[in-house]
Amino acid sequence: MFEDATKILFVAILLTAAIVLTKRDILGIISAYSLQSFLISAVAAVMYAADGTGTLLFVSALTLCIKALLVPAIMKGIQKQIKIKRDVEFAYLSPVSALGASMILLLAGYGLLSGLIGNDRALAFGTVAGISLMFMGMLVVFTRKQAITGIVGYLTMENGVVLMSLFLTELPLLIEVLILVDLIGIMLLAAILSFGINSSIEEFHQKLVRPFGGKTVAPEEGSA
Amino acid sequence: MIIYYFLAGAVALLLTAFARSHRVMNSVSVVHAASVFGLTAYSAIAGGLPAFYTEERYFFIDNLASFEVMLSSIVFFLAAVYSSGYVESLVKVKELDRKYVKAFYTAFNALLSATVLAFFSNNMALLWIFVELTTLFSAFLIAILNSRENIDAALKYILLTSTAMLFSFAGLILMFMLSQGSLGEGSLNWDVLVAGASSFPAQLAALSFAFMFIGFAAKSGIVPFHLWLPDAYSRSPSAVSAILSAAVSNIGIYGILRAYAIAGQTGAAGLISGMMMAFGVLSVAVAVFSMLRQDSLKRLISFSSIENGGFALAGTAIGTPVAVFWVLFYIAAQSLCKALMFFSAGILHMQYESTRAHKMINALALQPAASWGLVIGAAALAGMPPFAMFLPKLFVLSELASASGALLLVMAGLLLIGASALALFLVRTMTRTAGESVVSVAVPAGMKLPLFMLTIMIVLAGLFVPEAVSDFLMNAAAAIARGE
Repeated sequence: MFEDATKILFVAILLTAAIVLTKRDILGIISAYSLQSFLISAVAAVMYAADGTGTLLFVSALTLCIKALLVPAIMKGIQKQIKIKRDVEFAYLSPVSALGASMILLLAGYGLLSGLIGNDRALAFGTVAGISLMFMGMLVVFTRKQAITGIVGYLTMENGVVLMSLFLTELPLLIEVLILVDLIGIMLLAAILSFGINSSIEEFHQKLVRPFGGKTVAPEEGSA
Repeated sequence: MIIYYFLAGAVALLLTAFARSHRVMNSVSVVHAASVFGLTAYSAIAGGLPAFYTEERYFFIDNLASFEVMLSSIVFFLAAVYSSGYVESLVKVKELDRKYVKAFYTAFNALLSATVLAFFSNNMALLWIFVELTTLFSAFLIAILNSRENIDAALKYILLTSTAMLFSFAGLILMFMLSQGSLGEGSLNWDVLVAGASSFPAQLAALSFAFMFIGFAAKSGIVPFHLWLPDAYSRSPSAVSAILSAAVSNIGIYGILRAYAIAGQTGAAGLISGMMMAFGVLSVAVAVFSMLRQDSLKRLISFSSIENGGFALAGTAIGTPVAVFWVLFYIAAQSLCKALMFFSAGILHMQYESTRAHKMINALALQPAASWGLVIGAAALAGMPPFAMFLPKLFVLSELASASGALLLVMAGLLLIGASALALFLVRTMTRTAGESVVSVAVPAGMKLPLFMLTIMIVLAGLFVPEAVSDFLMNAAAAIARGE
């Protein structure tokens, strides 16, 4: 039963990635990402129910709080500030071709990895789903024009990595937490930079250096 | 020992936070870089390497990490010395707002700490995290100037390298799976993985390496993951360009070396070497042909960085201890040369408010130190004797010759094109004179001092390598090479 539930969740996660890949409405893209993170949290919870490993419950809670709720809220705030509602242009691939490419990558990943990973079916499925999610996120980064959509693509890729790592419960929790903190930092800076493209330099720098106080310092004596 | 590096970084960040003058912030950065060098040199001289730290052995200091940290700390030290006058000049021409000087030095010190800790990470996931942090702080330093193009360059840098680095993390997860399957217990500690690598199944090891390679190759600007590099290096303040190209990009090659040491022991060694050689030659080819049509000095140096990364990768692919030894020597030499070139470019930018060739008139007369820095740096990068790049280029090529005569011909031809591109640019720039009287811009001594120090180092390293240094490097190479 648990394996079936996990498989259904995998399919739903890949569907949310397809929505991120093709949707033009930025708030909709962020909501799809939020749903995707929620589903990953659910996968972790189902796995916890199956084998009782405490780390999985912790990862589930962390993913729910940070990636399903906090990060989308920040992204929505940024979207309001940059006042861009839709990302209508696609580079290199149209939405349909991008979906086609995703399908090919999914099948190629399955063909390649299922033979390499061996008998552990759950591990093989998790790895294939994770890598497919990563490739779909990468397609978002390279095919969408607006920086904020690119950031959602990056976050989708990162969800793929989380999905893969869920099946390796020995991976130290400390490492998982550090990665999460690091990714939040990257996401925040990228979001501020995408804000910078659509605002004045002064407004942008105010945001960029806010953590440092931004106070005027005394000049170097005798320099040019 | 590792705790001292954390402490040095924390103290530097704290002092910068409370500092009120530029002079204090700059001095803190200079002392921070000097202390990192001092600590690392002490541990190298004291011996007993490799040394492991924390109960889980998350950190270690071995010869290779020590070598990279000493090299990076020299570059950071010189960049800090250079920044004393350079940052003021940026403020004066309104390229940098005085309000953001503190942010500049905070990111500078944070970047130094992240770079050092990346090199000292025995745990590959920690290495990944610190590499990501270097991206974060580097992007911040790129975006700090008052120009929209800088924001574009920083965003491109952060999205492309971080996207690629996620593939590296997927590679690490596969590596963890491999260790779980083959060693009974999963680990991401490099020493454990190296010790057990010979029992890893070849196909999965190759896949894991390929994923890791994507991220680290992007970080070091290997083609086709290089698209961020020319914009990021050319738009950054010159002190930052020097750090990025001479210290931070080395982390990418370092990551590849560490991954190669593991995967190179599996049955996939031949496949992996072939892949690295292909990407190395491709990088050199794309870089040298791009160099031929550059009008901007900083973009020219940027493409030269891609060429250097490609050559180092191709040299590593040979895999013999001698080749890896000379690759390490090459990494050190090209770091010094690129720092010299970017520092010189910064001074020329002050003079002409541009680094475009057609704008530099009477350069030798107006800015002799920077012009000669450029000439010496370019001659060294081209591999001319008696400079530091001559011997490593010669010996890597001779190792390449023993692997394949055709490859030697291709590589030597490409290097010749790269050297010609540098020479052509210099001839166009340094011979451009005009009758009009352009006033020479006064350059602070702090900006010229690193040029002199780097020139001395580049010449000395080309003439004389102490036995202790070569032994140290040979030990570092032995940890990576596949053996004869």
